[in-house]
Amino acid sequence: MNDNFDQKLDALFAAARTSTPDTARAEFAFETRLAARLRAENSGSIFAWAWRLCPFFAALALAVGWWSHSTQRTEAVSPLVSETAPANDDQLLVAYMTGDHR
Amino acid sequence: MADLAPPTDEALVAASMAGDEAAFAELVSRHKRRVFAAAARFARDDHQLDDIAQEVFVRAFRHLGKFRGDAPFEHWLSRIIVSACYDFLRKERRVREQVSLDGSEWDMRDAGIDAAIAAGRARELVHWALARLSPDEQLIITLAELEERPMKEIAELTGWSESNVKVRAFRARQNLKKILETTHER
Repeated sequence: MNDNFDQKLDALFAAARTSTPDTARAEFAFETRLAARLRAENSGSIFAWAWRLCPFFAALALAVGWWSHSTQRTEAVSPLVSETAPANDDQLLVAYMTGDHR
Repeated sequence: MADLAPPTDEALVAASMAGDEAAFAELVSRHKRRVFAAAARFARDDHQLDDIAQEVFVRAFRHLGKFRGDAPFEHWLSRIIVSACYDFLRKERRVREQVSLDGSEWDMRDAGIDAAIAAGRARELVHWALARLSPDEQLIITLAELEERPMKEIAELTGWSESNVKVRAFRARQNLKKILETTHER
């Protein structure tokens, strides 16, 4: 019985192999649809890259902010020196420069 | 004298990677018949067929750089076809778990093997029975029984070991027999 059913199964597979479905309708204009999808995915991938670059741009913005802040602090210190210069107080200026001024 | 021989698949792959869309379109035209024939064994309608075929060529396009040319392009493409069909079956399985398999297929359940062969509906009966197997089993039955591929080739295509393929093929056939025997006895 089992061998008999194996033979039936083989006959079923053989019959299924001979019937090839007609795919002509699905193949029609396939290249056009595929090209449209590939273009859509490529344009989508540019946005994906833009999102991936977000951390980089955030880090860059932080670095620029820090640099800008530190530059302003340097400028804020310089008036102290300039205040001493007009008064021609050389000793005070030297004391500032050498670190003896308390 | 100008060389009028059509470009090889390898030349088309190189041109496609360089951004030549026409070269890739030519590759698609050359191989789409094979892709559609393979996908038709798994798809239930033209919409699914189109989805699988598109997925195959999109994956091929994305991974063109991995094609080394040490084997024919169609062999490389065959692995992508099997992978895309397997993923389709797994996705379809999840959908089918939510949707009942019964309903319009009652007549197939009643058909029986002899009647299906006589009526020229063997393919439908196989498709109906395969839908009741796991994705692994569907894939292995399709490759081994319907496409008559050797076990070694199936192992290369699926990435499973040859002994694993043999075991899976045996179990899949046993399970398919159970399903069809139940049908046959009705």
